[in-house]
Amino acid sequence: MSDIDIKRISYLAKLKLPSEKEEFYSNSLKDIIKWVDNLKKVDTSKTEPLHNVTEKTVSIRNDEVSKSNSVDDVLSNAPERAQNFFKVPKVVE
Amino acid sequence: MSNNWEMVIGLEVHAQLKTSSKLFSSSPNQFGSDPNENVNFIDSGMPGMLPVMNFGCIEMAIKTGYALNFNINKHSVFERKNYFYPDLPQGYQISQFEFPILSEGYINIETGDNQKKIRIERAHLEQDAGKSIHDIDPKYSFIDLNRVGTPLLEIVSYPDLSSADEVINYISSLRQLLMYIDVCDGNMQEGSLRADVNLSVRKKGQELGTRCEIKNLNSFKFIKQAIEYEFQRQINIIDGGGEIEQNTMLFDTSTGETRAMRSKEFSHDYRYFPDPDLLPVNLSQEQIDKIKPLVGELPQDKFNKYLDNYSLDKDIAKIIIAEKQNANLFEKMISESTVKPKFIAAWLVGDIFAFIKENNLEVNSLNDKTKDITDLLRLISDDVISNKAGKEILPKVLNGEGKPSELVKELGLEQVSDSGELEKVIDEALVGEEENILKFQGGSDRVLGYFVGKCLKATKGKGNPKLINKILLERLKK
Amino acid sequence: MKNSISQIKKALIEKKISVGELYDEYLAKAKSGNNNSFNLVIDRDNNISSINDSQNRYDNGNPLPLDGIPLGIKDLFCTKGIRTTASSKILSNFIPNYESFVTQQLLNDGSIFIGKNNCDEFAMGSSNETSYFGPVINPWKNKNSQKDNLVPGGSSGGSAAAVAEGSCVASMGTDTGGSIRQPASLCGIVGLKPTFGSCSRWGIVAFASSLDQAGPLTNCVEDAAYVLNSINKHDFNDSTSSNHQREDYLVDINNSFEKKIKIGIPSDYLEDVSDDILNQIDNTKKALSKHGIEFVDVKFKTTEYALSTYYILAPAEASSNLARYDGIRYGVREDGESLDDIYLNSRTKGFGDEVTRRILIGAYVLSAGYYDAYYRQAQKVRRLIKNDFQRILNEVDFILTPTTPNEAFKIGDKLDPISMYKNDIYTVPTSLAGLPGISIPSGLSKNGLPLGVQFIGNYFEEKSLLQLAALAEKELSFNE
Repeated sequence: MSDIDIKRISYLAKLKLPSEKEEFYSNSLKDIIKWVDNLKKVDTSKTEPLHNVTEKTVSIRNDEVSKSNSVDDVLSNAPERAQNFFKVPKVVE
Repeated sequence: MSNNWEMVIGLEVHAQLKTSSKLFSSSPNQFGSDPNENVNFIDSGMPGMLPVMNFGCIEMAIKTGYALNFNINKHSVFERKNYFYPDLPQGYQISQFEFPILSEGYINIETGDNQKKIRIERAHLEQDAGKSIHDIDPKYSFIDLNRVGTPLLEIVSYPDLSSADEVINYISSLRQLLMYIDVCDGNMQEGSLRADVNLSVRKKGQELGTRCEIKNLNSFKFIKQAIEYEFQRQINIIDGGGEIEQNTMLFDTSTGETRAMRSKEFSHDYRYFPDPDLLPVNLSQEQIDKIKPLVGELPQDKFNKYLDNYSLDKDIAKIIIAEKQNANLFEKMISESTVKPKFIAAWLVGDIFAFIKENNLEVNSLNDKTKDITDLLRLISDDVISNKAGKEILPKVLNGEGKPSELVKELGLEQVSDSGELEKVIDEALVGEEENILKFQGGSDRVLGYFVGKCLKATKGKGNPKLINKILLERLKK
Repeated sequence: MKNSISQIKKALIEKKISVGELYDEYLAKAKSGNNNSFNLVIDRDNNISSINDSQNRYDNGNPLPLDGIPLGIKDLFCTKGIRTTASSKILSNFIPNYESFVTQQLLNDGSIFIGKNNCDEFAMGSSNETSYFGPVINPWKNKNSQKDNLVPGGSSGGSAAAVAEGSCVASMGTDTGGSIRQPASLCGIVGLKPTFGSCSRWGIVAFASSLDQAGPLTNCVEDAAYVLNSINKHDFNDSTSSNHQREDYLVDINNSFEKKIKIGIPSDYLEDVSDDILNQIDNTKKALSKHGIEFVDVKFKTTEYALSTYYILAPAEASSNLARYDGIRYGVREDGESLDDIYLNSRTKGFGDEVTRRILIGAYVLSAGYYDAYYRQAQKVRRLIKNDFQRILNEVDFILTPTTPNEAFKIGDKLDPISMYKNDIYTVPTSLAGLPGISIPSGLSKNGLPLGVQFIGNYFEEKSLLQLAALAEKELSFNE
C-alpha cells in the first residue's frame, strides 16, 4: 500500500487537521486501509459492482411544481443572513 | 506570427432545460424570482433530504438525442461530483459520469460554403448550482440558491473546432436546435446557455498542446473575445520559451482578458461515485420511441421543405428557419391563407421583420395578427391595392389599428382597376401628346413610363399600373 | 414498569391511567438523566395538545394504533421545531422545519415524543462514545464489578438505554451496520432492522445512504410489530423506498408456523467465540427445537470480507453525505477570515474524532488512483456477499447468529478503531445484503449482562421474522 498523503485527503474533505493530529490520523488511516486490503484477494473479475441492494430502476416523478418552502423556513437556520440571502465572507475566484 | 499556429477547441455547452420543476426537486425552475424564493429543503441541502428524479428532464434529453444524432442510452447512472462551493449546498453536484444518457452524436455546421461535421462525445444531465453575488458588499458575498437544481444538459464536443467563428457557428446551431425541440429557451443573457471553452494551440500539423479551460461564457461576443485573447496568450507563452500550464481560466468581461482562477493547492479530485440516494435510470425502447414524435421538424427539414414545396429562395428560407418562432409564424400564415407562400415569405423577411426590429417586438407577438396580415397580402397580390399602398397600411395592421379592407377604404387606397374608367383617363392623358406618341412609335420605350406616370398622377396614384400599362400599349400601337 | 404497548393501551382504554399520567411517568424517568440517554426531553407543556388530543380519542372510544404511547426518537430523525443534532457539535443548534417521514407516521398514529435520544455522532460508532453530548451509560451493570459504567452499544445507544431504563416505551433507531441490533443486544431489549427500502429515509440525517434503515428498539417483539406497522410504508420522496404491499405485522404474530421451518446456523460465525456467546445459540436452538423447528449448519464464503467491504463503502458514502455540513446555511459556523477558513474551521471543529476519521477514509477510497482498488472492489464484493446470503436463504427459511461477539464493555475500554469495528461482525453482513434482522434477548452472560441472538429473514419477510422472534422470545425471556 502506498503512503497516505494526509494533507491531500484532508484538503479534499475540507478539514484542517491540527498538526499534532496529522500523524494520529495518518497512522489510523494506514491501519484501517491495511485491514481492508484483504478485499484485494477476492476474485471479482466476473462480478458487477452492486450500487444498491434494490436493483430496480429509479423512481420518477412527473414534471410538476409543488409549492417551494418559504424563504424564512429556508433561511431560519442560517448562521448569517442578509435580507433574503445567505451571507458569507467574500468569495475570491 | 500567429500564421503558423492553429487553435484546437472543444466545447462544453450547458443548456438549462425548460422544465417546470427542477431536476430532483419539485420547486419551480424559473428565472428572475426574488432571492431564495424558488428553494425547497432539497435544494438547500437540508439534512435528510432526498432527490426524486423529474422524468421531464429525461424526455428532454431524449429529444435532444434525436435532434443531435446521439445514441440514446437505455442505462444511465447519476453520480455525485464532490467539491465545496458556497452555492453548492449538498457539497456535491449530482451529475452523470461513467454512464451518460447520450453518447456519440454530431451536428453539421456551415463554414463558408462548406459543411463541417462536429462530433459530440456525450451529453449528460446534471444539477445547476446557485449564484454567489459579489458586488453588493465589499466584504461579503451573498448566496441565492434559486438556480440550485435547475436541470442542465451538458453537451461535450470533441476538439473538432478550429476558429472562433466555427465555435460561434456551432453554438448557434446547437442553440437553434435546442430551441426548435423546445428543451431550452436559448436565452444566453439569462444564462440558459453557457459554454466552457477548452482551447489549446499547436503549430500546424503538430500534435495537440496543453489545453486551458475558459469557464462560463454566456455571450457570442465574449466567446469570440475570450478565444482570441487566449489563443494569443498561449502563443506568446510558447514563443517566449514558456510552457502552457493546464489551468481553469476566467474571462474578465471588462478587460477582455482571461486569467487563471485562484490557484488551487491541489488539483481537483471530484471523487465521482454512483449516488446511493438514486437508482440507475433504465429506459425501455418503448419509452424512448414514444418521445420521437415529440421532436417535430428540425430546421434542416423545414429548409428543404421551403425550397421544394414553396419554391423559396435559399437566403429567405434561411432567415425564416433561423428561429423556430419565425418558422411558426410563416407556417401559420401559409395554413390560413391561399396567398402564395413565396409572396408571404418575401413580405415576412422584408417589411414585417423590419417592423418587428424597429419596434423591438417578439416575433411571437404577431401570432394573433396572422389573419389580418394575410388578408392584406391577399389585397396586394390581387392588385386591389398597390405595393406602395400595402407598405403604407402594413404598420397600421400590425399595430392593430384596423382590418386591412377597412383601412384601405378609410385611406382611399383602393386601386382603380375598372378598365372603362382607366380608358377615359388614358384618353385624356393622350390629348395633345402627338409628338410623344410619334416618339414611342418610333421606338422610344421611355415615353411609355412618362405616360404611365401621367395616368397614375391623374388617378391620384390609385390606378392599377399593370392595367394602365396594358391599355396604354393597346392605344399607342394603334 | 416494562409494560408492552398492548398492555398500556388496555390500561388507557380501561381508564386505569390517563395519557397525561402515562407521559409524566416516563418523562420523570427520562429527566432523571442518569444514563445520558436523551439529548433533549420534551416537557409536558410542549406536548400538551398532543396529550389532550390523544386522551380525547380514548374518551371517544376511537384511539389510534399508537395513541398516547411515549416514544423516544434517535436524534438522527429530523423533528419539526425540535432540535435535531445527530449528536454532533456542527448540528448542535439545528432546528428543522420539517418532520421525517418515519416520525410523521408515528405522530399520525397518535404516539407522543418524549425526547431525542443520544446516539453516536452521525450514527458512527458501536458504543455510543462518539456523541458530542457525552457517552450513554448502559443501565445494566456487571455483577462482578458494579461500579463500572458500561457502554450501551451503538450507534442507537441512547435509544436502547432509554427503553431498557424505562424512560420511553419504545424508541426509533437507525441501523447502518448494526446500530439497532447491537445496542438492543447489549441492553437486553428487542431491536429490528427492516429490509433496506422498507422504511423511508426521508428526513433522517444520512450516514451511508445505501445501508441506512430505520427501525424500532422495543421491550418485546410484539411492540416491534406495533411500531413497524406504523413506519413501514412506501414513500414517494425516497427513491429507494420499495413500493411492495405491506402486511399487518400484528396478525399471526403469536401463532405458531403452519409449515415446517428450517433455520441455518453459520458455523463460520461461531469459530473462536466465547462460551457466553455459544450458550446463546444453544439456548435458542433448544427453545425452538421444542416447536419442531429444524436447525442445519450453513457456511458463508464471504464472512471475512464483510467488515472490510463495509468500512470502505459506508465511509465513502458518509464522506459525501457529510459534505453539506459547512456552516453556510445551517449548523454551527466557526469564525474565519475567508470563506475557506469558515469551511475548514466549522468542519474541523464541528466533527469529532471518529467522524473525522471516517470522512478521511471515505475521501481516500474514492480518490483518484484508489477508487477501483477500494470503492469499486468493495461494491463488487458486496454483490458476492448478497449472493452468498441468497444462496443460503434458498436452503433455509431463516438464519440464526449471535448479535454481538461480546457483552457490554466498559466505557473507554476500546480505543483502537479496528477492535471497535469488529463489534459489528454479525450485523454488518446482513446490512450489506439489505436483509431484515432482529435481535432478541437470549440470556445473560457469566457477568450477568444481557446478550442477544439475531434472526435474519428473506427480503421483506418481516412478518414471519417477527413471528419466529416472538416464538423464541416466549421461551427465552429473562426480563422480570
